[in-house]
Amino acid sequence: MPTALAALEEAYTRRGAPPAAPTGDRTLVVGYVGADVPVELLTAAGVRAVRLTGDPDSGSAPGDRYLGRGVDPAASSVLTRLLAGSFGGLDRVVVSHDCEASLRLFYALRELRRVEPGTGLPEVYLVDILHLPHRTTALYNRRRIGEFAARLEAWTGRPLDVAGAVAAHDERRRLLAAVAELRRAVPARLTGRQFLAVANAALPVDEHIALLERLLAEAGQLGEHPGRRVFLSGSDHDTPHVYEAVESEGYVIVGEDHSFGELFLREPVGAGGLDALAEHYHHGGPTAHRATVSERAAHAARAVRHCRAELFVAYSRIGDEAPAWDFPAQRAALDIPAVLLERQEYGRADLTALRKEHPCAV
Amino acid sequence: MRSVKTLATAAEAGRHQREWFAGLRRRVAAGEPFALLNADVPHEIFRTMDIPYAVSQWWASLVAAKQRSGHYLELVRRRGYPDYSEQYNSVTLGSAFDPEPEAAPWGGLPKPDIVVGDATGDITRKVFDIWGHEPGVTFYPLESAAENEVPANWWELMPHRWEQAVGPARLDLLTAELDNLVRFLETTTGRRFSESRFRAVMALVNEQEEWNRKTRDLIARTRPAPLGVVDSIPSVMLPQWHRGTEWARDIARRFYEEVRDRVDAGRAACPDERARLMWIGRGLWYDMGFYQRFQEEYGAVFVWSMYLAIAADGYVRYGDDPMRALAARFAAFGDQLYTPPWSGEWYVKEARLHGIDGVVHLVSDDPRGSYFTARALEAAGFPVIEIHADNVDARTFDDEVVKRIAQWLENVVLA
Ligand code: SF4
Ligand code: SF4
Repeated sequence: MPTALAALEEAYTRRGAPPAAPTGDRTLVVGYVGADVPVELLTAAGVRAVRLTGDPDSGSAPGDRYLGRGVDPAASSVLTRLLAGSFGGLDRVVVSHDCEASLRLFYALRELRRVEPGTGLPEVYLVDILHLPHRTTALYNRRRIGEFAARLEAWTGRPLDVAGAVAAHDERRRLLAAVAELRRAVPARLTGRQFLAVANAALPVDEHIALLERLLAEAGQLGEHPGRRVFLSGSDHDTPHVYEAVESEGYVIVGEDHSFGELFLREPVGAGGLDALAEHYHHGGPTAHRATVSERAAHAARAVRHCRAELFVAYSRIGDEAPAWDFPAQRAALDIPAVLLERQEYGRADLTALRKEHPCAV
Repeated sequence: MRSVKTLATAAEAGRHQREWFAGLRRRVAAGEPFALLNADVPHEIFRTMDIPYAVSQWWASLVAAKQRSGHYLELVRRRGYPDYSEQYNSVTLGSAFDPEPEAAPWGGLPKPDIVVGDATGDITRKVFDIWGHEPGVTFYPLESAAENEVPANWWELMPHRWEQAVGPARLDLLTAELDNLVRFLETTTGRRFSESRFRAVMALVNEQEEWNRKTRDLIARTRPAPLGVVDSIPSVMLPQWHRGTEWARDIARRFYEEVRDRVDAGRAACPDERARLMWIGRGLWYDMGFYQRFQEEYGAVFVWSMYLAIAADGYVRYGDDPMRALAARFAAFGDQLYTPPWSGEWYVKEARLHGIDGVVHLVSDDPRGSYFTARALEAAGFPVIEIHADNVDARTFDDEVVKRIAQWLENVVLA
């Protein structure tokens, strides 16, 4: 039997593809985009959910054409892959308003279905969760969560098991937080690349939980990764490319603040109802796209201390400029060296900038 | 090339703007509160409470027209922030970092006490929030919410059936945010909010925009066009920043009358009009002469920009509940211009109304749904040429653009 880590890494290579279904299984397959889709409700509806991810190595010309310049190229890549049918047969796509790129992607999908039905895109639904820290926004989010739950029930014709789903996702969050502790150990027992794979393995929640439990049980067999400890801030990383590039230079990424990494493991939802879910997603983050500069700086200071990072790397993709706005305050809030990699291409990291700042990196 | 304005109302609006700004500086110097507002936030509340305010994008356009945007972006850069991101707002932020504010255009923008912006995109809230960290400045953010399904014919629904066009979720949210804004302003400025004055302000705004609607319709149906966008933009936009005043209502009426007189006298922007052009995108503030560059040689006149057209279709809101009507004006304001299906359907409607022969589409780096706008226009039979530049950052503009447009006029529009 392969180790749990090997199994999780293998499942990560299947990211963006729906989990294999027994023949004749007519369970709805729902692709989703963005950090603010309440995945608990997808589980509660009993659909097969797959987070849609891009691919920097295949072209993105169709997506670029529809979304234009100035949008995070990760979103263009997702759109390109949707148009190419790379995600298999999706019955629905659910998009959140977690960043401008996701919203533009939603509008493009909605309009393409209207004016170019030949594209064969699935029905698309927007979950508009917002983030100003005010009661007005909380009430709005609660209404949107309720609408989404009702829409899911209409899609499946079944009532939702919200309590069961929240409990399962909270358990997964708890286990992933424990796995994150292994990465935070000195020396790290997991690389950033490995953690990304473990957290984003394309598995149904119950199978994911089982493998995470086994990974924790096998923790004694994990290697040691003594490289220079990096905290990676900024843009989302829906693929391992940037992690691999950074870690190939002898660094180990021991923490990050984007939605495919540790940022969303902090708090359990707790109570198994729509009210708690609405509050959970309202307070999610702080992401580069929705939080203020000072929230991001305070979070960076806390997270860097927590993972004992030695170097802070802020990464801002072309078309995803929010991290570059956060950087000056983050640097001021930190007592370790900080470097900004700005206007980066999707899937690439300009490490010459990093090397210049840190000539003695191994 | 400098633009040539010929309209008395445009000149008067320009004169008024200088006087107003000088008066505003005096009021702020005398200790009155000062608010800096993003274009898409409900100024009507500040108008009602008589709190002096200026509009961030207006200031950016003034700075760009004075060829000073590079200076302010450099100040932003020196603080470590990107100078290549959301320039329309960050140019104005740069003025907060200016060591010599009095050297700025028109004596400089006073330091605001309050800034209000909506959380559109990923950057706007950050820019205003950074501003809010300057001493003595408070940032009041508003959400920017989105809707799943919307009826396409928003311009028909908005005046009376805005509830149907915008949807109750967004209206409830913004109405509550605005109620809270009033309380916040009452508390921090000591000023009172009079409901009857608010109703009067809302009525004045509707009157002003109805005059703009008549003007738009008149230009649309007159051949050759009585004026081009170099005249219509200041005549509609400067009063737009004074919405809810009698001055603004009255100059909107005089603008209409002046255009009507030109039509009656048979005067035209370009008597030898051979092509009617539509400009899609924000104004090219650093080169307004651009819009008249194709008249002499090609008889090509920019008869349409969004500024008059959105005044005509985008603002009018009737109804018994003025706060909800005000929320309806802004809860989906940007969608009218940038979000499909609303944007594309509306541009096509306007192109047909104006008898447009060709569309020049300014595509900025801002992520706006421009593909679908161009697609809708092309599908409806209107030739579209896209040019890429930022509208306040002259560094992004390339003289090749003029040559490309000239070729397109020869080979496509006039062929
Ligand atoms: S390169 Fe300079 S900043 Fe970076 S770790 Fe070495 S000494 Fe510190
Ligand atoms: S100087 Fe460079 S190689 Fe030597 S110990 Fe320090 S980081 Fe490592």
